[in-house]
Amino acid sequence: MSGVTITFVEPDGTEKIIEDAVVGESLMNVAKDNGVEGIWGDCGGGCACGTCHVYVDEKWQDVVGKPDDIEEMTLDMVTEAQQDNSRLCCQIQVSPELDGVRLTVVPAE
Amino acid sequence: MTTQETQAPTSSGCPFTGRQKVALEETSLTDPIIQANPRDFYWTMRTEDPVHYDEKLGMWLVTRYDDIVKVLREPLLFSDKQGYEAQYASGFFEEFKQILESQGGGYFPDVIKSDPPEHTRIRKLMDGAFSAHRVKTLEPGITRIIADLVDQIADKADKGEVIDGVREFAIPLTISVICEQLGIDQFNGEKISRWSEAITAQIGRMQNREEMVENAKEICDLQNFITEQMQDREVDPKEDMISDLVHAELDDGSKLTFGEAVSLVRALIIAGNDTTATAITNLLLILATQPELAQELYDNVEDDKYLNRFVEELLRFAPPVRGLAKMATEDTELGGQQLPKGAHLLVMYASGNDDEEKFECPRQFDMGRKNLGSHVAFGVGVHRCIGASLARMEIKVAAKELIKKVHNIQLTVPVAELKYQKTVATHAIEALPITFTKR
Repeated sequence: MSGVTITFVEPDGTEKIIEDAVVGESLMNVAKDNGVEGIWGDCGGGCACGTCHVYVDEKWQDVVGKPDDIEEMTLDMVTEAQQDNSRLCCQIQVSPELDGVRLTVVPAE
Repeated sequence: MTTQETQAPTSSGCPFTGRQKVALEETSLTDPIIQANPRDFYWTMRTEDPVHYDEKLGMWLVTRYDDIVKVLREPLLFSDKQGYEAQYASGFFEEFKQILESQGGGYFPDVIKSDPPEHTRIRKLMDGAFSAHRVKTLEPGITRIIADLVDQIADKADKGEVIDGVREFAIPLTISVICEQLGIDQFNGEKISRWSEAITAQIGRMQNREEMVENAKEICDLQNFITEQMQDREVDPKEDMISDLVHAELDDGSKLTFGEAVSLVRALIIAGNDTTATAITNLLLILATQPELAQELYDNVEDDKYLNRFVEELLRFAPPVRGLAKMATEDTELGGQQLPKGAHLLVMYASGNDDEEKFECPRQFDMGRKNLGSHVAFGVGVHRCIGASLARMEIKVAAKELIKKVHNIQLTVPVAELKYQKTVATHAIEALPITFTKR
């Protein structure tokens, strides 16, 4: 099947549109493979570092879903930037339902 | 070293003031007084000379939070591999290598201390084993190990005996946890502790030749032990990390070489051992010296969010790793300082965590900080500590089990008399004599 389209809004406002995201891949890997600014993913997707923080666009929140308890704990370490629509994108897998999703990168440090 | 009374400029409103300036040109990180109490030295460098050349050490000390992050975010400009090699067994490397080759099966460079893309190949293999979700599944087993240890020391302390928090709690705790992970069911904790110290000493810059020879022999012993364990898994695979590594196939279809596998098992045994033990020692120290904090911890012991924040602030407040080496791969500029190609840097994580430009009132233990997770105790970038989730879990469970079962934790010596390991790499208390009573 054809790829899924994902839009990342980088910290300087640039929109990076990725049209060939592969189903099952984590959004953090998609971002890193496409050089999205501000997504570091230091811990390699282990939900341990908080360096792949994104805000999910309001209309996509239900589709993307909420963080689980473990992700919530890691997000709690970045409370200065944490919002209701915060997610760590290493914990979100590309799926057909996410086609068109828009995420805003929250820079770490 | 001379000191003069100087009020810290950022002290407004902070309960902890009174940083004292240190005469930088007369001071080295290798000085015993600085080793024990380095914070005024860090603060003076951050204020006056943030990328400071330590003549005795022959290294540039990177002390400001922002510069630390900048270095760690540029792994090709600031090479971990070259910095580490220049640090390793410094002054005695050839002799050290020769001992390992003749008595320890070979000299196997640390594969984790490589630069991208080689590093990426290895890191990807290891990431899954240490994810927060995997570590969560280990919580019951870790709790069992720690609860047993707490019971043992609590019985002893209840009879009025003095406990060494390092040798009787922190070190056996971390060794038991990592051995369980690796699948080493028969082990000698004393030996593993000696091996850990021998390895850490190679990047500590403080060993003399005699100590190097002793340490090299310990490392030979460690490598021979690892080789036996690997050979066992080669013929008889088990459900453990050593088996996983022996039989691992990497993303690119390659397998680990024998030397790579030995170096990885060695790193797994050592890396999360001394450092996490130091964090747990620091936990005991803070509970002994800040009784109101110990009470607050007790009052919140069933609140997982509280415990997580407590652990994170403990790591910011007292990071086990003091400084690790990097090397500039070309002429560059950092924090206003020109650095030549080949400049050997020591990234002072402990100074970054104490930087008042990043952390308001840094000497205050404040788990309500909004930027709690920005500390650099685990590093930043491609070499960020892979075992962070496991370390956090061990510290959290230690705090929980301990505070539930004991109280009135007290140091039996003044804080000023605590001795620290001789090394620029970590800031580790050697012995922590404490007493306490069962609840």
